[in-house]
Amino acid sequence: MNSRVLVITSGKGGVGKTTTTANLGTALAMMDYRVVLIDTDIGLRNLDVVMGLENRIVFDIVDVVHGNCKPKQALIKDKRHEGLHLLPAAQTKDKTAVTPHQMKNLTNELRKDYDFILVDCPAGIEQGFKNAIAGADDAIIVATPEVSSVRDADRIVGLLEAAGLTNARLIINRLRSKMVKRGDMMDIDDILDILSIDLLGVVPEDESIVVSTNRGEPAVLDNSSRAGLAYRRIARRIAGEEIQIQNFDETHWIMDRFKKMLRLAR
Amino acid sequence: MQATARNFQEEKLIDLKAFHTFGEMKVGLEQRLGDKHQYSPGVHLVIDIGTKQLNSRQVRELEDVLLDRGMHLKEVLSSASIRPDSMKTEIETAFSGMPGYGETVLICRHLRSGQRFFSPGNLVILGDINPGAEVIAVGNILVMGALKGVAHAGYLGDESAVIAAYRLNPTQLRIANHITRPPDGEKVMVREPEMARIRTGKVVIEKLKI
Repeated sequence: MNSRVLVITSGKGGVGKTTTTANLGTALAMMDYRVVLIDTDIGLRNLDVVMGLENRIVFDIVDVVHGNCKPKQALIKDKRHEGLHLLPAAQTKDKTAVTPHQMKNLTNELRKDYDFILVDCPAGIEQGFKNAIAGADDAIIVATPEVSSVRDADRIVGLLEAAGLTNARLIINRLRSKMVKRGDMMDIDDILDILSIDLLGVVPEDESIVVSTNRGEPAVLDNSSRAGLAYRRIARRIAGEEIQIQNFDETHWIMDRFKKMLRLAR
Repeated sequence: MQATARNFQEEKLIDLKAFHTFGEMKVGLEQRLGDKHQYSPGVHLVIDIGTKQLNSRQVRELEDVLLDRGMHLKEVLSSASIRPDSMKTEIETAFSGMPGYGETVLICRHLRSGQRFFSPGNLVILGDINPGAEVIAVGNILVMGALKGVAHAGYLGDESAVIAAYRLNPTQLRIANHITRPPDGEKVMVREPEMARIRTGKVVIEKLKI
């Protein structure tokens, strides 16, 4: 299988790029793919924290591109999955420590050993963004159902197109179906109407994300997490399976839970 | 005045450029056709009327004159629009009175937030203009999609410029030096093509009847 470099970006901060990267990476690793996560948010790294791997960092991405160490030395193996690795960002430098050209070389080198290379992009459209998209084949855009997020996502789609990444796909994060039903939140169609790109998946708002982030365990590991299940479905879609976009109706959810309880009782 | 005629491959060309009115033109044509040596029955004629225009009734009258002598009218050449008024399409009638610009730029994609486009003439967009995007034209702007961003027509001060969109839902509209925005608070969803233009010093939005 050809390896693919996917950049996970959004423009706006705080919409869930890092959470998405951690969860999709873990979910793909659970499907026995070889996955490497690259944190390009130099100076504000936290993918390692979300993955619970902070205490294992010795070398980082800046050391790798400057030749201070070999990529293998800087890659941190995940606690739980054999095929999952993390290349952490440097915390003491800033975004200018890496150039787009160096990023391209780095991702190309990693292609040999991995099926999926997920690049966690920093917020904004400056140097960090340019670095993150430099080596990417595809882009995944994360947006929450808020006008500010959708506006920034639209800007990002435009910038990606200008950079030759025309096949960006969208993940709508933190959707609250109750609010959508009441008409208080943008619904999926509103967002797709503006962005007019393919929808990769929808992740519902879920408190368990906060818990799993704080613990350093991606939500996909938790079978009872709604968001985790949504990320698993997205990961299967990235891997090429055809899976319907889930309808997050509260009633369906209650039905699912009811069924699960019955199964447990048996 | 003499009508001149010359060979035009199989057909004959009659030059009626010198006549000013249709009456003179018709008389001149009849005189010229009196020359039996040159104009035998069965010949196809092309009539050049120069910068003048004929309506369909006048064309039919000329045809009758020729048919009386057993000749056929092949074509009426005119450097003005050859088509008579009655043949104008509905679209042309809808857009009549709008200024013409030589250059028109066609964009076949969506314009996204942060993207800006300028046209020295007219601008036609086959796609949406998202919020945060901006289109500017010296002439008119036509959006075959949703206009949700900013559009500026008549950039160099032409107040007769118009902005038409399949869904006119802009952040801001500018025509020449007039700037307007949709009223605060109310959200009107119109599911019809609309057009903005300046009438009596104000930007007005009207339905686009096509």
